[in-house]
Amino acid sequence: MISPLSNPPLFHLGPLPVPESVVATWGIMLLLAGGGAMLTRGLRLAPSRTQAALELLVSTVDSQIRDTMRVEPGPYRAFIGTLFVFIFAANWSALLPGVEPPTAHLETDAALALLVFLAVIWFGVRAGGVRGYLASFAFPNPIMIPLNFIETLTRTFSLLVRLFGNVMSGVFVIGIVLSLAGLLIPIPLMALDLLTGAVQAYIFAVLAMVFIAGAVAEAKPETPSTKAPP
Amino acid sequence: MSIDWAALGLQALNVLILVWLLARFFWRPVAGVIEQRRAAAQALLDDAGAKNEAAKAALAEVTATRAGFAQEREALLAQAQAQAAAARTTLLAAAAQEAEALRREARAAMQTEQAAAAQAWRARASRLAVDIAARLAARLQGEAVQAAFLEFLLREIQALPPAARQAAALEAVSATEIPAAAQPDIAARISAALGVMPRITFITEPALIAGLELRGPHLRISNSWRADLDRIEQDLTHDG
Repeated sequence: MISPLSNPPLFHLGPLPVPESVVATWGIMLLLAGGGAMLTRGLRLAPSRTQAALELLVSTVDSQIRDTMRVEPGPYRAFIGTLFVFIFAANWSALLPGVEPPTAHLETDAALALLVFLAVIWFGVRAGGVRGYLASFAFPNPIMIPLNFIETLTRTFSLLVRLFGNVMSGVFVIGIVLSLAGLLIPIPLMALDLLTGAVQAYIFAVLAMVFIAGAVAEAKPETPSTKAPP
Repeated sequence: MSIDWAALGLQALNVLILVWLLARFFWRPVAGVIEQRRAAAQALLDDAGAKNEAAKAALAEVTATRAGFAQEREALLAQAQAQAAAARTTLLAAAAQEAEALRREARAAMQTEQAAAAQAWRARASRLAVDIAARLAARLQGEAVQAAFLEFLLREIQALPPAARQAAALEAVSATEIPAAAQPDIAARISAALGVMPRITFITEPALIAGLELRGPHLRISNSWRADLDRIEQDLTHDG
């Protein structure tokens, strides 16, 4: 049995080995970007059923961003929404025969966690500048700087581990059960894996929003109206 | 277990590209159409609000106009009432004046009628009295009455100035025929009273009732009941 932790290259792109997870990601990218471009070609003010479903998705993402981050969703919609849609699609790609979800591999989850880590820095710097963002590490007092710094790393690592652990374990368990019990037995486990995949996509997106919102709120300079009166 | 850093980098790049692609082809267009719909709805709401305000303003204007109508109606009614009161006062005054004039006219007409009636009644009474007196006097026919009237005539002649007594021919008029035997005596006494000898003709006029009158071209002596009654009637009529 091949270890689910292994990620052997399918082919090489010059010096770069291209594993199956990257190819699956390309497929998901093609599906999502192509589908999105095709579905949004004929948008109208009077929406069709498909457009209404797309608008429901966008509105839900916006609503989540507003509720979680307490900001207007415009600058964050694409990143947060894409994270959710991609992880959701990647997790559910396990339904396709012969396709292993990219999120079941450490590199994909690490890449996602790395992007969240960079996005926290990016949005934090954009909200309060480099100085403001760095000053946010001294909140509530400078003694907390090491702890805040470590927290930034560990929470990113926790993102990675949480997503990888949940998805990989599902694939691993299904693989074991499938090898032991036959064709139909893993179906309930696969359904549970779908639920887990959806929940993990949602959790990953929500945690990304929480991290970014924390960085933005702490890095943003206090306006005079928000300061307490002397 | 080891991490394939190249795969990690590729996946990070892939997700970044996917973020850009979806932002370009999905999130922004859909969010844009939602925003367009929201803006259109807001424009409709603003338009509806503006129309609502315009309708309220029009309603207020109509209400004000209605109030103006009511005020104008009240003013017109008050003006009409004032005009009617003035016209009524004028008409009443004119009617009172006209009534007073009619009353005065009627009073004057009535007074005139009363005066005319009184005059008529007086004239009638006078005529009646004269008729009565004539009837009474008519019963006093006789020689004594004739002699008395002759005496009255002679006194009248003697009262005349001498120039007035000159006459060539005279008529002696009596109510009843004087017997022929008495005529020469009567003519003689008249001629004696006149102082001349005129030719005297005796004429009978029953209208005299009783009496003896002397008539000539320049002389007329009325000496009869008729002449007396005429004078009395004239006096009575003129006294009224």
